[in-house]
Amino acid sequence: MLRNTQSHVMNPKKTFALAVGLALFLLPLFLDFEGLSLMGHITLGIFLLAAVFWILEPIPIYATSLLVIFLQIVFLSVQGPLYQLSEVPSATPLPVEGEVWEIPAAALQEEDAVLVLENGKQAGVVPVTVTGSNAETVTVRSDELSTESRLVIDGDHWLLDFEVPSYTVYLNALANPIIILFLGGFVLAGAAVKYQLDRNLTRVILRPFGTKPARVTMGLMLVTATLSAFMSNTATTAMMMTVIIPIVAQLDPDDRYRIGVALAIPFAANVGGIATPIGTPPNAIAIGALQAHGIQIAFGTWMMLAVPLVVVILFFVWWLLLRVYPAKGERIVLDLSGRFNVSGKAITLYFVFGLTVLLWVSEAWHGLSSSVVAFFPIVALTAFRVVEIDEIRNLPWEVLWLMAGGIALGVAMQDTGLAEWLIGLIRWDLMGAFVVICVFGFVAAGLSNFISNTVAASLLVPLAISLGVSGMLADAASLEINAIIIAVGASLGMALPISTPPNAIAMSTGMLRTPDMARMGVIIALVGLPVAFVLAKFLWPLLVGN
Amino acid sequence: MEKIYILCVDDEPDVLRAVARDLALLEEAFPVETAASADEAKALIGRIQESRDELGLIFCDHVMPGQNGVDLLIELRGRLDLDLMRRVLFTGQAGHEDTVDAINRAGITHYVAKPWEREELLQVARDELTSYIIASGRDPLPYMRYLDQERLAEHVHRRNRTDTGQ
Repeated sequence: MLRNTQSHVMNPKKTFALAVGLALFLLPLFLDFEGLSLMGHITLGIFLLAAVFWILEPIPIYATSLLVIFLQIVFLSVQGPLYQLSEVPSATPLPVEGEVWEIPAAALQEEDAVLVLENGKQAGVVPVTVTGSNAETVTVRSDELSTESRLVIDGDHWLLDFEVPSYTVYLNALANPIIILFLGGFVLAGAAVKYQLDRNLTRVILRPFGTKPARVTMGLMLVTATLSAFMSNTATTAMMMTVIIPIVAQLDPDDRYRIGVALAIPFAANVGGIATPIGTPPNAIAIGALQAHGIQIAFGTWMMLAVPLVVVILFFVWWLLLRVYPAKGERIVLDLSGRFNVSGKAITLYFVFGLTVLLWVSEAWHGLSSSVVAFFPIVALTAFRVVEIDEIRNLPWEVLWLMAGGIALGVAMQDTGLAEWLIGLIRWDLMGAFVVICVFGFVAAGLSNFISNTVAASLLVPLAISLGVSGMLADAASLEINAIIIAVGASLGMALPISTPPNAIAMSTGMLRTPDMARMGVIIALVGLPVAFVLAKFLWPLLVGN
Repeated sequence: MEKIYILCVDDEPDVLRAVARDLALLEEAFPVETAASADEAKALIGRIQESRDELGLIFCDHVMPGQNGVDLLIELRGRLDLDLMRRVLFTGQAGHEDTVDAINRAGITHYVAKPWEREELLQVARDELTSYIIASGRDPLPYMRYLDQERLAEHVHRRNRTDTGQ
């Protein structure tokens, strides 16, 4: 009979998460942490709220990102009501004679200076000479004061110890260069799907791999990783699933090869995302945060860092899956029929796609940043109507919002000194640069098994960056390497069906069970992370920093 | 995962039992509800909607006491709240004109002739529910293992959508 499912009512778990998030948002305001400004306290509240909402998901994760930006504007910007409605308490000096003024004793800062308010919020230092004093007032001599001057009474007022930025600082996150880079990638990928470029490339690349099961797996993983380096890991996995579903259906039900091949696709997609800056959003979080510190990582540089790692891990995954899930049969036949679309628009796409990728990887020669290059496919493909309004509406805008929230959070954590303060809670100097890299890598991978990879990176990257900036670690390159290792770690957290969308897709087909994925995922992370650490130690310092 | 109901309307209890048995493989995601007449079907639809569940597919016999199947399907087609529901005429006795009406006026998406084969019925249900899931725009992953995986994977590929964030 009918069950009465009340799925539309807020469930207790969500209510609990909302309550905890709001409580943690308010908590720092009632506490006084030494060394942290009031703005830092507010940012800590926003950070805690974001962490709880991103992890427990009482609201969608992209909505949490937008909430972060909104809260920053309300509480941390010049345009926000908190700033608009606040004023520093002040008093005007009373003229005594000539350049001598009587001022409240509290207005005298240190021995010989007063703070004069310029616009009700910020103050400039004016030197004075004290000529006399009593309990409540002092007389001072200065030629810079007037009866209009407003002297700050409370020199420790929160408005004075933090230069409140304009809201454009936070809004800029929505159009950060790295977001534009991703938008360019999304438009290219959307067009590639529309004209079946991805499927046709798959066909062409797979053909030389023949029919031996081991070779077929290798081909499938190579294609998946290559495509997911430039397209979303999710779309790539879904497309590759349509390729393997027919072959799996023909296999003997107890042929374990089907499990191996069903795992090979999502794992290759997750790992392939590491290969380029646009491969997966965690890369954007790392690159965006480094950009905020004036450190540019070129597209090609990132690939030189990441591709060797990706190749080694893919090879290991291939070997592992074939060993654990060997094929019973001798032949796997893929249906590789089909032909390239040769309409004018499709040809335009091939040209634009090729040129964009070429310009991305050759940044070192021409110097155009990858975000500038990314604008080219956006303009060209829309101008020639290769992508039209439907594809534009269909772009994963929420992924851009998700990244923007992470970037904005990082900006506020740096600007308000929160990140540095959090970092200061742990004695990193006892660990040494290499141990720190390992810690960040493992924490990122561990976290992103359970939460969105982008979110894991958003929470960790600001900490890693300020650790690099703080100078607690001697190694100059550790700033870049800390950030990159977090992006890599976030992509290697793939032990559970919920870890990544590719995992979820593979699991949904019913071809494998969770223990299969969990066992292989853990082994891959335990092998992949140390490989990354070794590269971070010996190869990466040659490519970034100095 | 929200369950999506399959409704089977037929005046023969044996048929209803057989259909429920044949579609038992889908039960975890797509439970079967049965009604012996058009009126009973409409009452059941009302109850399903009251509890905010969804109806994705209806198998409807034609010759029944009271309102006949094609007329019921025409009526349901006119309802905006059921516009995504897939409609299957499930009969051995529909005449030429009724069949024309079923296609043109009731907009049926499939015709299953009685007697039916279990595999055929299951395949029809899978195809129709796959179309329903795609049209409904919901996350297809929870339903994938019961339905046409290739079509749903292609849908995810084209739309680049699942509920899990990256």
